Amino acid sequence: MVIHCEHLVKIYQTADAFRALNDVSLDIAPGDFAAVMGPSGCGKSTLLNILGLLDEPTSGVYRLNDISTADMSDRVRSRTRRDHIGFIFQSFNLLPKLSVLQNIALPMRYGNLPRKDILPRAYELLQRVGLADKADRTPQELSGGQCQRVACARALANRPELILADEPTGNLDSKAGEDILSLLRDLNRSGITIVMVTHDDKIAHGAKHIIRMKDGEIV
Amino acid sequence: MKLPDLIATGWLEIRSHKMRSFLSVFAIAIGIATFFYTLSILSQRYRDIDRTAEVSGKGRLDTTVERPLSMDQYNQLLRMLPPQASLSFQTDEMFTSATYKGQILTGFFLQGLLPTWQDSAFVYQVEGRFFNWQDIKNKHRVALIVVYPREKEPRHISSVDSGPAGSVQLQDFIKHINLLNQSITISDQSFTVVGILRAPPVEKDFRAPEDQESMQKIFIPYTTWYDIAPRWWDSFSTRVRIVTGSEDKAARATSVLHSFLRQQFGPDFLPGIRLFRHQLDIYRQGAWHNLKAMIFIGLIAMIAGGIGIMNITMVVIFSRTREIGIRRALGASRLDILLQFLTEAMLLGLCGAAGGMVLGYLAVLHMANNTSQLTFSWWVVAASVLLALGTSFLFALYPAYEASKLRPVEALKYE
Repeated sequence: MVIHCEHLVKIYQTADAFRALNDVSLDIAPGDFAAVMGPSGCGKSTLLNILGLLDEPTSGVYRLNDISTADMSDRVRSRTRRDHIGFIFQSFNLLPKLSVLQNIALPMRYGNLPRKDILPRAYELLQRVGLADKADRTPQELSGGQCQRVACARALANRPELILADEPTGNLDSKAGEDILSLLRDLNRSGITIVMVTHDDKIAHGAKHIIRMKDGEIV
Repeated sequence: MKLPDLIATGWLEIRSHKMRSFLSVFAIAIGIATFFYTLSILSQRYRDIDRTAEVSGKGRLDTTVERPLSMDQYNQLLRMLPPQASLSFQTDEMFTSATYKGQILTGFFLQGLLPTWQDSAFVYQVEGRFFNWQDIKNKHRVALIVVYPREKEPRHISSVDSGPAGSVQLQDFIKHINLLNQSITISDQSFTVVGILRAPPVEKDFRAPEDQESMQKIFIPYTTWYDIAPRWWDSFSTRVRIVTGSEDKAARATSVLHSFLRQQFGPDFLPGIRLFRHQLDIYRQGAWHNLKAMIFIGLIAMIAGGIGIMNITMVVIFSRTREIGIRRALGASRLDILLQFLTEAMLLGLCGAAGGMVLGYLAVLHMANNTSQLTFSWWVVAASVLLALGTSFLFALYPAYEASKLRPVEALKYE
């Protein structure tokens, strides 16, 4: 299994100790394309953050590629994020001061790839998402759909086995949304496991299977 | 992240916030300018003191004996000193006048020397010749006159204004007339000027202040001076100078001189023997002491600059929290984030160092005295750069550490 979760619980220590995840158990096999659906506040993004090692569960077991994440140091978590996970966010999260090419190169800058190989690899990824002519543009000069394609290219930078997409079509019109979905399906076909959070039924049905959540639980 | 990428990222941030960066750089530059100025001057003073040490001869010691000392005593003392030591006696300075072709020359002092006077702090170019031991032995009537070069700001060599009617100051007279090989009359005796001692320009004169003439002088042989000194002169004193050749031998020479003088003048005689090394230490302390206040001001300016950097870094981190979250999500470790902000701050420091050194150099050129002899010194540049980098590093450490501690999930949510 790429992802194996047992009895995950996430409690936010607010005044009323909000339980964002409640006993979530989940397995995602290599090459799967799972869509996580549910209403706002049901814990979809919390689950995705834990799966992406951006956050830690209050209790429960999370194994990534059969390795327990419980005792991982910050350094190992960062390295795992860098080498094994690609993120796609609803609001793209591209750095506005960097060019499109430099944005794609960014994850590689934290890796071990020789410097001379970084930009050619970034350019190759840009070609793959069909934006080779926008390499020197800044994200502000691109449309939402183009920005999300750049984010997809960035997610692929260090050749991850897992892509976590948090509402990747949430800020896009339906045409651009379909393009991104089609891109994700292509990536999935090339062997990358994808977990996508969405509240759009149509987009969710593009995945191989759907996980429905409500009130912090899988239903 | 590798260093070139850290630098490129830092530089991009600095360029995209020009005003904010300028203010930080300016604050650091003021501090560095003060330090650069102070260290340049200090470095030059220390170098001058080192040259003074070279010019003065190693292991030198001086004393003044309130008695006349004879050549027999000279030979006796010389035999007691370590081999290769140079011993020199100088007489008192006698205010007198001379006559050249009927012209009365006044405003100078007459002093008796030995040939060994040349072995310490001798900076002159000799036109003609210096005294030799034959001059001493035979009490030759020969004289040497010191002449100073024409300078923009002439050094202050005192001359006594009063003189008989029609007399001229020797200092003014020798500007126009070269007295080499000419006869002059001093105390009714005819002297031949066998040498002109041309003093170097003031910026190349590295003698200790105590070795530089404060008065216009004519030198004559040591023994001749006693021959013509008036009989009523009852307060003869002798300046004794020994150059031993090394610091180690100076201590031995001191005890030799001490016992010699007690042997000559009785056990209660207390000579004040000055080791020139101590004098050099006093000069060094003086140079440091004079610039201490500047160093303190520089330190305050650097702290102000450092606080500026700290403040800016904190603001930058606040405004870039989301970016930190993105970088963390893409694989940046805490160390990467820490290094990113430290590099940025140190780049600001480096720009401050560059600006500060330019300002400091201009200050040295326009404000410091004797800047014509100021030479470029790499250690001052290195110290300024290190200071700027160190200050930026120290003051950015806390905000950078705080940035590195941000949890990725919270940083990503930050709007």
